[in-house]
Amino acid sequence: MMLTKILAATKFALIAGMVSVGLTGCVTSRVEDARVNTTGLNEGESVVIMAKSYHQGNKTESDYVNCLEKALGRGSSGLRVIPNQKFIDSLFPWFEPRTAPAETKGLTKLMERPGVAEAVEEMGVRYIVWLDGDTERVAQGGSLSCAAGPGGGGCFGFAWWQNDADYEASIWDLDGFESAGTVTADVSGTSFLPALVVPIPLIARTQTAACKDLAQQLRAFIVQ
Amino acid sequence: MIANLRSISCLVLLSLVAAGCSSTVTMEDPTIPAPHVEKIPIDVALRIPKEFNNFMHEENILGKEAWSIDLGRSNALFFTQIFGYLFNNVIVIGPDDDARDFQFDALIEPSIDGFEFSVPTQSKTETFAVWIRYRLRIYDREGTNAANWTMSAYGKSQKEGMNGGAALQRAALLAMRDAAALMILQMEKATQISALANGGLATPRAESAVADVDAKPASRRDDMGVFVIGGIDDDAD
Repeated sequence: MMLTKILAATKFALIAGMVSVGLTGCVTSRVEDARVNTTGLNEGESVVIMAKSYHQGNKTESDYVNCLEKALGRGSSGLRVIPNQKFIDSLFPWFEPRTAPAETKGLTKLMERPGVAEAVEEMGVRYIVWLDGDTERVAQGGSLSCAAGPGGGGCFGFAWWQNDADYEASIWDLDGFESAGTVTADVSGTSFLPALVVPIPLIARTQTAACKDLAQQLRAFIVQ
Repeated sequence: MIANLRSISCLVLLSLVAAGCSSTVTMEDPTIPAPHVEKIPIDVALRIPKEFNNFMHEENILGKEAWSIDLGRSNALFFTQIFGYLFNNVIVIGPDDDARDFQFDALIEPSIDGFEFSVPTQSKTETFAVWIRYRLRIYDREGTNAANWTMSAYGKSQKEGMNGGAALQRAALLAMRDAAALMILQMEKATQISALANGGLATPRAESAVADVDAKPASRRDDMGVFVIGGIDDDAD
């Protein structure tokens, strides 16, 4: 009798797990760009993704930068992306959080520093993409409680939370040392966690969606 | 016998709970990239203080957790690297070595005036932050104090995964890189060390004058900004 109950509970949990893998929470996305100058990418030219400095209050996550690097470089139409840390190390100390240029007007002077222009040229960097923004939990609610005893355990209730991912990418063209424009991604996702014995997570991958959408738009913006 | 076993089990359980509330992070050897700057043409002796061989700092968050960071020899390695990039020639001397046995233009004694860090439970964010306040005492070859420079360095890193140890390490490394950037860009301006090259001597000054030199950067600007944040200080050269 006990074994049958355990088997039934396991079966239910497996089915619930499989269902939750197929289902996700709701995500709404808005991506826009504002062009200032014409762009284009020649053979051998590359892009570097940088997070704006935390000294300026920016909170862009390092895993978001990594995600964008991978997404931009992926596929047959992928761009040549220089890893962020390689770029920072190659140009030390000019792109540290404290010293990184905040505006394009400082680029000309920066390129005159010993070894800077040579390092940029060697990596073939044509565009620096500066990221600003982060993913935050903006609302949550519901209640969920779990209990366990000698005969088994389970959860009951319903919980939800909403994450907003707002990112702005400013594109600097090193061929002319001017701003090419900005691309913004505003993504909102609501995740749900209903539980009737077994919790079924319906997770909205807000940050991942913001990464995919921004990468797609950035690629189109740069290549035209 | 059973009572003994019970008390041993309780002790083991208690020690496990206590261990769960404290974390120790050991800093790996830092690597500072070679900077794109011209070296200051001077021969320098770097005196590594005793504390740089085994520096440990602990933060207790009342009623919650305890974090400690073991910097080991990382400060000694950091200063050896950065001064190697910054000056023409560097010799490293120990805390008990007699400086008169060595040939140099300037002797630099770095020390740590302050070290602090914050963890996510304190800052209510998913970040670890590290502040280091270094002091550089610079002497000429005769042993006269030429400059006394303090600098505040800051590093911040996001928590990744369940354990924040890697993020705290990264924040400490970023603080060291911040200090390195400060030294590269401001060393000459803050200390006029190149005046000691080729046997140049410091002008003997009263203690108050030395303290004044030390206080200048902090009094002019805030703790974070010995020079402009978010760009290059035009006066850095």
